[in-house]
Amino acid sequence: MAVSSLMSLGAQAMYANYAALQATGNNIANANTEGYSRQQAEMETAPAQSSGSGFFGRGVNVKTVTRLHDEFLTREAAATRSAAAADDTLSKQLQQLELVFQTGEAGLGHAVSQLLNSFADVASKPQDIASRQVVLARTDEFASRFRVASEQLTTLQNGVNQDLKSSVDTVNGLTKQIASLNQQISTLTGSGHSPNDLLDLRDSTLSRLSEMLQINTVAADDGSVSVFLSGGQTLVQGSTVAQLTTVPDSFDPSRFQVAIRTGGVVRELPVNALTGGSISALVAFQNGDLVDARNQLGQLAMAISDQLNRQQSLGLDLNGRGGGALLSIAAPQVLPASANTGGATISLAVASSSQVRASDYELARDSAGSYSLRRLSDNHLFGPPEIASLTPAALAAGIQVDGITIKLQGLVEPAIGDRFRLQPVAAAARDISLAMSDPRGLAAASPVSASTSLDNVGTLSIDRLSVLSPISTPVTDVLLRFDRDPATQASTFTFSTDGGATFSAVPQTLLPNQPITFPVGSSSPQWSLAVQGAPAVGDTLLIRQTATPSSNNGNANAMLGLRDAAMIGAQLDNQTGTVTYSGSSFNDAYAGMLSDFGVRVQTVKAVARQSSVVAESAKSNASNTSGVNLDEEAARMIQFQQTYQAAAKMLQVAQALFDSMLQATSR
Amino acid sequence: MRVSTADKYNIGVNALQRRQSELAEAQTKLTTGKRVNRASDDPVAAARAERALAGENRVVADERSVEASKSIMVQTEGALGEAGELLQQAREILVSAGNATYGSPERNNLAEQLKQIRDQLLKISNRSDGAGTYLFGGQGASEKPFVDSRPQIGTLVEQGGVRYVGAAGSSMTDVGTNLPLALDGAAIWTSARTGNGVFETRSLTSTSGAWIEPGQVVDPSVVTGDAYSLVFNVATQAFDVTDTSTATVLASQPYVSGEAIEVDGMSLTINGAPNDGETFEVVPSVARLNVFGSLDKAIADLQAGLGSAALSQAVSDNLRNMDSVMGNLQAARARSGEALSRIDNATAQLASEKLHHQTERASAEDLDMIAAISEFENKQTGYDAALKSYSMVQRMSLFQYISA
Repeated sequence: MAVSSLMSLGAQAMYANYAALQATGNNIANANTEGYSRQQAEMETAPAQSSGSGFFGRGVNVKTVTRLHDEFLTREAAATRSAAAADDTLSKQLQQLELVFQTGEAGLGHAVSQLLNSFADVASKPQDIASRQVVLARTDEFASRFRVASEQLTTLQNGVNQDLKSSVDTVNGLTKQIASLNQQISTLTGSGHSPNDLLDLRDSTLSRLSEMLQINTVAADDGSVSVFLSGGQTLVQGSTVAQLTTVPDSFDPSRFQVAIRTGGVVRELPVNALTGGSISALVAFQNGDLVDARNQLGQLAMAISDQLNRQQSLGLDLNGRGGGALLSIAAPQVLPASANTGGATISLAVASSSQVRASDYELARDSAGSYSLRRLSDNHLFGPPEIASLTPAALAAGIQVDGITIKLQGLVEPAIGDRFRLQPVAAAARDISLAMSDPRGLAAASPVSASTSLDNVGTLSIDRLSVLSPISTPVTDVLLRFDRDPATQASTFTFSTDGGATFSAVPQTLLPNQPITFPVGSSSPQWSLAVQGAPAVGDTLLIRQTATPSSNNGNANAMLGLRDAAMIGAQLDNQTGTVTYSGSSFNDAYAGMLSDFGVRVQTVKAVARQSSVVAESAKSNASNTSGVNLDEEAARMIQFQQTYQAAAKMLQVAQALFDSMLQATSR
Repeated sequence: MRVSTADKYNIGVNALQRRQSELAEAQTKLTTGKRVNRASDDPVAAARAERALAGENRVVADERSVEASKSIMVQTEGALGEAGELLQQAREILVSAGNATYGSPERNNLAEQLKQIRDQLLKISNRSDGAGTYLFGGQGASEKPFVDSRPQIGTLVEQGGVRYVGAAGSSMTDVGTNLPLALDGAAIWTSARTGNGVFETRSLTSTSGAWIEPGQVVDPSVVTGDAYSLVFNVATQAFDVTDTSTATVLASQPYVSGEAIEVDGMSLTINGAPNDGETFEVVPSVARLNVFGSLDKAIADLQAGLGSAALSQAVSDNLRNMDSVMGNLQAARARSGEALSRIDNATAQLASEKLHHQTERASAEDLDMIAAISEFENKQTGYDAALKSYSMVQRMSLFQYISA
């Protein structure tokens, strides 16, 4: 056996332990590198040398450098990160949205309270311009709060647009990187050693991609991975990439949807193709919560402005004319899909502001040529018997659902496959503004006033005279004369519209708690009169045109009555046309809306907290397996250092042996 | 379990950040004093607070309405009190006018005093609250609600005089508070009941020898509400009584001065020596007696230099009128007093309602300070522990021991 073999054995051992030290050093250097998997030099015993006296070991060889990595844990970490990113994004967006609906004095509810309550001063002093001015100022303030809220929603939408664009760019950058890593890795895999750092880089790139979108990966034999969206669409296959892009929404070009470009064709991704990651959260927020918020805000704006304007039209202003509109809002809008080929025009009108729902609707003509109408807030498909069959004739005549009227204008039918997005209230809050500049225009006076005759002997008194539909002046005096039914002894009344010369032939029974309406039996009466007490026979009551509108407060009191009026969210049985729920007052509706979004935020916050804990723990699990522990490295360092020192000692020994041999052989 | 060093640090840093954000949240609550700063903090409480705020806003508005009504009613009550005193003076003047020793200069003098009282009453009836609302403007008057004008032809003097041009009825605040903002001037000033409230007796002959008293109802069940005429027949020394509404001739009533004649439940007393054919009339009472017209008639009567029977008739009629308008004014004053008492009740009720809403809002969204402070200290301790453990953990490393 040659001394040289001992020397080479020592040198090899030194080399191997040096290599191990190098790996340790690399580990220490990368202790804080994100996505780095610790590496170790794999050693193996060199094949033994056979001799007559058995097999002599020939030292150690460095086989390769491996990375310590758990595929399952890495994938788990990426998937949970995807869910956590989605929840986190949604939580952040919803918390922004929540700020639009302020509570307390800064809120819309307070602004409406202030507006309606300011009519109390007008009712006390109808002729006082200052109190009227306050009403206008409050109305302006209220309208501007609605506009600000609507602008905030637009800002949020713009933010979503920006985020979507930049996220899509990031995704495209990441997929490109993965494709190029795939190529490098498959090239290098042929060398027999695994390109650890490239694998780490690809893993962390995939993890970053997961943050944007939930993905599935499939590894190929050549070391490359293919990336698929949860809907099955291919993002990366080997070294080829399908680019994501954003396309304008087919109905509303102010928002964007995510699309994929494959083979030069851009296809909008269906919503279910996006299930995790921040992009899906952005899309879900934009298509869900933001639409809901806009519609609910619009519903409030529509209802209150319609009620105020209606009440205005029932009264008389300081100049004795019918009240003009106090607020102006945008009309309902119909958005045809950009892909529509027919030239049909659909019109949309609000028939009853209190019944309008906070929802968009979609009218479509399917491939079979039949029509469908869908309420998007709860994805309710209308059909018989709820509404009549959707024939072109019925559409041309106008379909009434949920307090809106949908009508096909003209004779042109929509083409097959045409779709229309119907938005009754979505734009209402955006354009709401004060339509009146002259405080004298506030209709504080009622056009008619009632008074009992001074000659009455009964206990009859007037409780409330409510105007129900606009009354044009001059108003004919209406004289009510009370009598008693000889059979039932019930109080009855008859009308006279000619000053008492002739009275209506058929006496009406005066029912308790039921106001007298005029004209009797009309479906749209002019006014209703609630009376108290019991009239004596021959007692009279006169309803006449208000003599001095400047100092009458009848309509201002009616405005105050709007505080309690059920004006929002009445529900209609579309089949029978009966109102099943009469709705809630503005303040109740706003409080309900507030708590609706509050609950959404609260829920998503809790979910986000939960999923971030899960993601953190998954990440922790993965990194605990593959991450660097400095104590461990320190121990290894000493271990390899000592082995290295021992090997060096061996070299020294070999050299001494060699030297002694040289000395022995030299003279 | 194996722990990666980077992860150990990450965990420490994450924990520190979480503790810090919790601490900041607790601090926000402490500094704002509110448990609910956004709806998501407690959606149900936020909605409750929102409703309570709306309720409070409404109470504030209602308080303003009540205040407006109170201001008017206080002035109305005062005005009616003054008017009552003036009418009392007028009544005293009328009583003294019956003094038989007075001649026309004295009566003219009394008439002058009545004129002044009438002027003052007109001013009171047209009084405004100083901010454009007429106290007796009813459902609206843009100008003074009472206009001094000649009585319309065909109207009795005491039913004319000053005309009401405001709108009839009372102006009210909204149904929630339902308090008067202006009383019906017509009902108060121009609509007292004539006669004794059921019927009115009149002497129709100008050169009379007798006068008729206001009379009274003795049997309400047989009162017909018809008009009657009583014509004196010297030959029979009796009154021929006719129900002029039904044109029915009733039984003649023998006449003794000062003794009551009873007709259909009404007791009528005629005094003096009636001439032949002297006619008295009984008509149903109507709510048309005008304060100013009554004074106008009294003034005219005082200045007319009437004879003894006519004077007695005039004094009797005018006192009767004065009592009726005074009664009507007093009733109105009672109504305004009752309104003021309702206003007091409403004010107290609104105050307690406001307190209720404020308490409701506070309990929904305000912070329990003691709990909050203890929670804050708790969080602080947690943060402190996280800091300490972090600094201890980061000091421990094998490298410290192998540094040779």
